[in-house]
Amino acid sequence: MNSAKSYQKKKGTGYVFTSGLGLVISLAMVAWIIIIILVKGLGFFWPGDVLQVKLQNGDSYMGELWDEHLDKETLVEETQIKIGNRDVYGRDFIWLKNNEIASRSYPENAVTFERMEYGNFYGFIKAAYLDDKIVQPGDGETLKDVVFDVHDQAMDTKEQINDLQEEATEIMAPLAEVQREMTLLQLAGAEETATGKQQFDELQKKADELDKEISPQIEKINAQLTTLVLRDRASYLEVETADGTTKHIELSSIVRFFYPNEMGAVSKSIHYAGKLWEFVADNPRESNTEGGVFPAIFGTVLMVLLMSIAVVPFGVLAAIYLNEYAKQGAIIRFIRLSVNNLAGVPSIVFGVFGLGFFVYAVGGSIDQLFFSSKLPEPTFGTGGILWASLTLALLTLPVVVVATEEGILAVPRANKEGALALGSTKWQMIRKIVLPNAMPGILTGLILAISRGAGEVAPLMITGVVKLAPTLALDGSFPFLHLDRKFMHLGFHIYDVGFQSPNVEAAKPMVYSTALLLIIIVVLLNLFAIYIRNNLRKKYKTSTF
Amino acid sequence: MIETESGVFLEKTKKDEILTPETKIDKSVKPVLAMSNEKIVIETKTLDFYYNADAHALKNINIHIPDKKVTAFIGPSGCGKSTLLRCFNRMNDLISDAFHTGEILINGVDIYKEGTRLEDLRKQVGMVFQKSNPFPMSIWENVAFGPKVNGINDKDELNEIVESALKQGDLWREVKDRMQNSALDLSGGQQQRLCIARALANKPEIILMDEPASALDPISTGKIEETIEELKKNYTIVIVTHNMQQAARISDYTAFMMLGELIEVDLTKKIFTNPTQKLTEDYITGRFG
Repeated sequence: MNSAKSYQKKKGTGYVFTSGLGLVISLAMVAWIIIIILVKGLGFFWPGDVLQVKLQNGDSYMGELWDEHLDKETLVEETQIKIGNRDVYGRDFIWLKNNEIASRSYPENAVTFERMEYGNFYGFIKAAYLDDKIVQPGDGETLKDVVFDVHDQAMDTKEQINDLQEEATEIMAPLAEVQREMTLLQLAGAEETATGKQQFDELQKKADELDKEISPQIEKINAQLTTLVLRDRASYLEVETADGTTKHIELSSIVRFFYPNEMGAVSKSIHYAGKLWEFVADNPRESNTEGGVFPAIFGTVLMVLLMSIAVVPFGVLAAIYLNEYAKQGAIIRFIRLSVNNLAGVPSIVFGVFGLGFFVYAVGGSIDQLFFSSKLPEPTFGTGGILWASLTLALLTLPVVVVATEEGILAVPRANKEGALALGSTKWQMIRKIVLPNAMPGILTGLILAISRGAGEVAPLMITGVVKLAPTLALDGSFPFLHLDRKFMHLGFHIYDVGFQSPNVEAAKPMVYSTALLLIIIVVLLNLFAIYIRNNLRKKYKTSTF
Repeated sequence: MIETESGVFLEKTKKDEILTPETKIDKSVKPVLAMSNEKIVIETKTLDFYYNADAHALKNINIHIPDKKVTAFIGPSGCGKSTLLRCFNRMNDLISDAFHTGEILINGVDIYKEGTRLEDLRKQVGMVFQKSNPFPMSIWENVAFGPKVNGINDKDELNEIVESALKQGDLWREVKDRMQNSALDLSGGQQQRLCIARALANKPEIILMDEPASALDPISTGKIEETIEELKKNYTIVIVTHNMQQAARISDYTAFMMLGELIEVDLTKKIFTNPTQKLTEDYITGRFG
């Protein structure tokens, strides 16, 4: 008997170990992914030291140390350096054989420039020019102080230019509106009728008056603008690359610059925090490979919210009908099976449906009915955040239906009967007893829907996501929420930056950072829903005695 | 066996095993139907009830239930007493395949008559279930649930109704200071009295009780019985019970049912001391059950 027992125990142990192994492998893979994304995603913003290498053949390069490896064929150690200066070298990275490198150094006065265009520049500052005149450091000042000072001035100038341009647009707005109305009249052929002609003339008169009124203001602004722009163009830095080539960089095209080799841990950390903030709060630059991803974060969150608003009511109503009203039988079983299977349909299929149904059929009809004046330019008849959200709502509908059904099934039958026995109608019973009790189940469905919807990219690509959206879908201009606008999305941003950008190698860290951000946003949205669910669970805990 | 929502009743094949030769129904003795001097509130005429075509749960039930009295249904498990009780407020309508033949009259009106509003019927005929089923809401919300769904929205009026219902349910003293607490925090006995109060808040005429004390301890059971004693002054009460002592203690009339048939109805005193049917006597003396 003892031996039989130990045999059984041994047999059981094997299963325990096998299942445990499965769990360990799964956990290890998840941990691995998260660690890789964390390290690569967060490391991107750390200001790396600038390395200068001199080769035996006399060439010299400067940049951030990127990678080192052993070439398997030649068995030579190689070093990869991000040399930047794309406008000079035409490439961002260079592989150097270690045995050809004569010396390595970290020069104190090496500068990293982050620019609006052409990526980073690594070099030395030679002189600063304002209005084409060289600025000499005064008493007790170093060249470094001067450079930071002139950069601040240049940024002020740039801001003034932007402000003036905005002001001009605002002043021009009423005139532009009148001119638009005139164009519409012309297009409609109104000049051929007497009343139309009269209307047109009135508008023309109004336009002339407006023009007379605002032209002095506009002229004044234009004069100011011209001076500022000229000054802006004449303010630049003279810089030198590692191999001694000199170059001028316009001050206003420099986002920021710093001396990484001089910076201590504290100033590097401050710089790091600033970069991180820029990433989360700013617009992208340089075909999305630099700058921030704020529009993508905004688009992702807004789309998920719109999707939730659309999917929850429909999913819940469908589940209520299936469980409470429909007569259970073969048809309902078939419908339930179909709904469950819908969850397995590839997302691109939903995308195609969204394009055909929402964008072309529904959007096209809306355009013809309400926005015919703008045709053939589509308003709703093209991809937009509304259609993308609705497509995703359709995609996640089965998840919500199934989870809600489970929630409804968990409502104690005794409570439902109790409510009916008190003379409530079926709908009153559903509203007061079933729905509140099923709320945790509904929210579970919402959580699953958010998880699935937030990460979905394929259907969005054909229903309204774009590489770069000029405006957010929610802003200060009436009607505030612009459902017809195209939007940016973190998932698509990852794809675009990682695989569609002209400079894939330089953009790679951005892919990890964006992926990290996407994970964080999905987790945050989920935590929010879980928090609400747990509160409801406490409230509706079932009777125990 | 077929599971139904009101319990379990037996399939045809099993019936003969229970009906031993000495417990056959004596068809020569007619069950007592009505007590001539009482006002009748509920009356059934040749009522047959089926859970589905194969499950004949009630067979030719003819019973008269008198006004402002307690009538107890007793009988072995699966005899159909809960099914009969649930016929009176049409709770059985919830079962999709169920159907019936015959008539059920309340105050002389057929409750299946076309145009009958289920909500009105159930307001008139309140029900208390075997297991207490307070809603996951406050005590006040629980009691006010019935009046609210029946269209009373005035806060003062609701407060009045809640107070009087809780007083009748003998719960007012215990909960008056914590009306906004969750009903689920009450003890089992208090929960069941809350369910009684909740039924009373609708000002019903009849209260159906489906083994209201079977899940409670003896002290709570005692309190419920006291409450029933008090309530019968104003309400007609029909109670299903497994506990024959309870039936003997609280009811004025007792109906004995078996295998879907009504065997005997009479004054409780008579049923327990001198039943007409041999079957009733056997059940009461504990020869089977």
